[in-house]
Order: sequence, then C-alpha cells, then structure tokens
Amino acid sequence: MQIERFPVRLIVEKSGDMVYFSQLDLVSILTRALRRANLPLYYTQGFNPHVKMSFGRALKLGVSGQEEVTLYFTQKIAAQELHNKLSSQIPQGLRIIQIN
Amino acid sequence: MIDLSLIQKPQRYIGNEINVVKKSHQGKIPICISYPDLYEIGMSNLGLRIIYGMFNAFDDVACERVFLPGDDLAVSLQNSSTKLFSLETKTALDRFEAVGFNLSCELNCINFLKILKLGGIPLKAKERAELIVFAGGIANPEPLAEFVDFFYIGEFEEGIGQFVEVFRKHKDKKARLEALSEIDGFYVPQFYNITIGSCGYKFDKLHKYAQFPLKRVYVKDFDKSYYPLNWLTPHTQIIHDRAPIEIARGCPNSCVFCQARSVYKPYREKKVSTIYEIAKNIYKNSGYENLSLLSLSASDYSNIEELLDTLIAEFKDKRVGLSLPSLRIDDSLGNLYRKLLFLKKTSLTVALEAASDSLRAKLGKKIDADKLFEAAKIIKSLNLRTIKLYLMIGFPEETDSDLLSIAAFLEKLHSNTGLSINVSINIFVPKPFSLWEGAWMCPEEILDKKIKLVLSSLRRRRNINISISQTAKSILEAILSRADRNFSSVIMKVFETSGYSAIENWQIWQAAMDECGINYRNYLKSENKNFPWSFIENPKISGCKNDKDN
Repeated sequence: MQIERFPVRLIVEKSGDMVYFSQLDLVSILTRALRRANLPLYYTQGFNPHVKMSFGRALKLGVSGQEEVTLYFTQKIAAQELHNKLSSQIPQGLRIIQIN
Repeated sequence: MIDLSLIQKPQRYIGNEINVVKKSHQGKIPICISYPDLYEIGMSNLGLRIIYGMFNAFDDVACERVFLPGDDLAVSLQNSSTKLFSLETKTALDRFEAVGFNLSCELNCINFLKILKLGGIPLKAKERAELIVFAGGIANPEPLAEFVDFFYIGEFEEGIGQFVEVFRKHKDKKARLEALSEIDGFYVPQFYNITIGSCGYKFDKLHKYAQFPLKRVYVKDFDKSYYPLNWLTPHTQIIHDRAPIEIARGCPNSCVFCQARSVYKPYREKKVSTIYEIAKNIYKNSGYENLSLLSLSASDYSNIEELLDTLIAEFKDKRVGLSLPSLRIDDSLGNLYRKLLFLKKTSLTVALEAASDSLRAKLGKKIDADKLFEAAKIIKSLNLRTIKLYLMIGFPEETDSDLLSIAAFLEKLHSNTGLSINVSINIFVPKPFSLWEGAWMCPEEILDKKIKLVLSSLRRRRNINISISQTAKSILEAILSRADRNFSSVIMKVFETSGYSAIENWQIWQAAMDECGINYRNYLKSENKNFPWSFIENPKISGCKNDKDN
C-alpha cells in the first residue's frame, strides 16, 4: 500500500561553525533534528527504510550560503509549525530562511 | 588560534554537538577528560560519556573533552606554539585542575603522552606542581605509573562523588592525592614502593593511610546507576554511529582468556523497564536512528525476548534500528534475529574463538558449533549477506590439528549456508586478571608458523575473507599489558625518538628496550607466583561472595 506523502520545500542557510560540516553531515543533522522534533515523517519504502529528503545543489565544504531541501511528511503540516519545531532542534549556524 | 578551514575534518574540533555542556570555569573545578584516540573513536566510548555526564551534574564542576588531534592539527599546533585545547571552551589543557584518560587500550599509551605534550602538560607525575593527571579502565597500571598521578581501579561511577568531595576540600596537590589514596579504588603510584626480590614483586606503602591491597570497586546498584540520557550527539559520523544502551555489565561465563569478565565482576543487569525508559529518553534527546543493546553476552540477559518485544513495539513505527552485538548461537538464535530483522537489516556475528571442539572445551567457551550447522536453515531464511566469525590462535595447548580444523570448519559453514564469511583471527594475549593471566605468550616465530599453517590449509575460496592480527602488535600488546614500572622508561624513550608512528613500529620498541636493558621475553613467560599488578585484589584468588561462577 502506498502511503500519501506531503513534500515541503525549505531554504536553509549554513554559516558560522556549520560551514565545516559536509553535505553528508547535513543529512544526518536534519534527520536527527526531524526525529527529535517528533514530526510525522515519511520513510523510504525499501529494505533499509530511512527518512526521505532531497536536496538541491550542495554547498562546498567551508563555504557559507543557502541550500534547498525538500522534506516529506505523511500529513499536511503548517509552515509556521514546522518552522517552530525544527528551528529549536537544529544547531547554531543552521537557519531556516524560507518554507513553502 | 588555528584556522580550522586548513585542517582535515574540522568537525572533530568544534564541540557543538547536541547536548554539549558548556560552563564558565568561574568558581568551578575545571576537569578535562579524554579517550586518547581520534574524535570518531573516542566519541564511540560509553565510559567517557558516563563520566562526562556525572561530572557535569555537579554545579561546581565543569567537565570538558579532548581527543587526539589528527597529524595535521598536531603539526599546526606545534608550529604556532598553540597548546592543545578542550572542545567545549577551547581552554588549553594545562589550565585544567585535572585531566583524565581512559586507558583501556594498552596500545594508546603513546597517544596519551602525545596529548599531554601537545597540551603543555609535563609528562611525569613528579614534574607537575598542581595539575593532576588521572586514568582508568586499565587492568595493569604499572607501565604507566610514572606518568599518572592516580588510577581508579574499577568502575568510576562509584568514585566520582568522592573525587569531587576531595577536590572541594583540598586545594593542594599533595593533600588531594593523600586524601584520595585513603579511599577504595584510588591508586596513587607514588605512595607505593615496588621491588623485585626472589619471591617476585614486593609492595610497600609509603603513605601510612594509603589502601593496601587495593580493592576493585564496582557499581552496587547497577539498575539505578547513572546513565547519560542527554545523549551527546555528534553532527558528523563516528565509528560506532549509534546510541548504545548498556543492558548488563559483567558476564556469567568463564572463558579463560577473557579480561572483561574479571574486571567487570560481578554480572549485573538492568531491568527491562529501566532499559525501556533509557531508550525512550535517549531517542527523544538525540534522534539517533540506531540503538544498540550493549553487554558482554546479550544471550545471557534474563528477559531478552521480553526486552526486544518492548523495544520493537516502541520503535517499529519510528524505523529505529536495534542491534545486539553479542548474541550466542543457541536455540533462540532464529527467533531473536527474526525479531531484529523486523526492524532493519542486521548481520550475524559469532564469537567462536576456536574451531575445534576439544580446544573450545579447554577455553571454557560453551558454544556448540553443531548448533550453527543445525541453524543453517534458519540462517538462510534470515536474508543475511554475511556471517562474521571471531577466532583466536596462539593458545598454550593448541595443536596443529586444532589449527587445521579452522579451514575445514569454514569450508563446511560456507557450503552449508551459502553465505560469505568474514573471519577475524586474533592472537591470544594472556591478560592480567583473566583466568589464564599467568599463561605463556606464544613467541613471534611460532605465531608466524601457526598463521602460515592456517592460511595454507584453506583452499582459497572466494567467499571466505580472513583477517589476522599482526604478530608484532600482539607481542607489544602482551608486553604493555604485563610489564612492570621499569617499562615506563621504554615508553618514554619510544615517545621521544619517534612520537606518533611508534605504536606500529616494532623495531623502535625493540631498540628502546635494548637501550633500557629490558628483556621483554621475561614479561611473556608463564608465571604463577605474583605479578606487577598483584597489589590489586583479584576475586579469583581471594574469593568474592558476589561471584557466582567461581
């Protein structure tokens, strides 16, 4: 059975100490932040399920800037609610700029 | 300050993990603790996390961390005359009142000296006026006695309160060490004179009130003992990238080569309800996608099925993986693994130690290898890709036929299961406090012959991968774990001549031992009188009423 999924697009900014963390690190930082925030996460359906997310062009290591991330949920979630819950769980140097 | 953008893996040195504790040092006792290896390895150590959490629970203690810097950072620190600093507040190591090390791995001794040196701390205990260097996790402290002000013998959870109490009351180093030496578990080497006579080692106290013999301290109420719930969660990948939950400490089995069963006596368990609360809180505070149930032998946990059912019910929908790193092969194998697979893929690891039944019986390893073949059908149904096996060679009573049975066993296992097999063959090292602490260490020439025999007897199969530990490294490990105080001079010499790469380089160790006039073979002989570590009580000899298995 296919579970319905609701994508949300975010722009996040990497600056300060976070520029030393790689794209791979960013995936686990966001995964664990989403898990701590106890949000209705959509998981990949394969043999080894993990939190589904997709990224725009990755930032280079050591460079600050903005990056696009798409998160997937199993129900509709208000932009403000997501912003509040996620912002309190991501480390300093990572900031949510925009949600749509 | 160092420009981190020029350093490899700068994530190691930032100290901004989730749940990190940063306190001002004003009016507090600043303590720095370390596992003397790279960040990724050190952060995988549970003991360090327990101690970090317990120290920081005191309002008047600020506990921080430091790990071994990578080669590039070490060079930059030296070139810019910057001292190695703690992760939390970037304080130079020599500004702390105490610096503590987990020395459970003997081969980390050079790393330990390197951290002291880079941190601007004099290496020898007697050269330090104020700062106290302490260490724990080590079975035989003697080879490092010259560098460490005090060792804790046993489980430090019991001693942390006493440590803080003494540091509050006394401000002077000598007074602090005297006060500590009067408490069980605190071993201050400079208060003991050790001489070698015709009857072996002789121990004399130099401070009237120091404890002798030293008792090993263990956590009495393991179910209620402290566990770090505000799990320090790195933003970058570490070696064991999962949150371990300790379900039991100690081991009810009596394998003769095992050191852990002796130093973590007696066997204790946490209740299922306690483990459930710990797991729930750690997940809530860390968001870790993998939890691992830690113990020396998970199959011996009284309610293993109930525990797994409880945790699976909690974490199934959250897609959190659970792993059991230490299962035995027995009837419950199929059942338990099926439960685990329900969550996430897992691998099957079996610590068999010896391939021949007769040798395994001598080792006290209660494993029925036939069960593994009987379970072949179950194993096939588990959808595994590989089986991992642990074997050991170099035992005193081992015969050529014991060694030849390894190849036969592996080929049979492969043809029965159709799975590829990864075998890791370790060399037996007679470890202090294990049941065979007095056994002989197999000399390197014989070890090399044994390894050759094992490898040549195996018709090379595509799906059997063997890794064997290096003989020189195992000999060195044996020396470091069995040596006495005289060996400090060798460690010092090795550190001075070659620094970082030394631990891999057997020639450097040999040269240093020759120069110090030490014949290392004396440490490797079989021995039953007494040992450099005999001032520490060993329940095997003195009898311990909590010890069911002796």
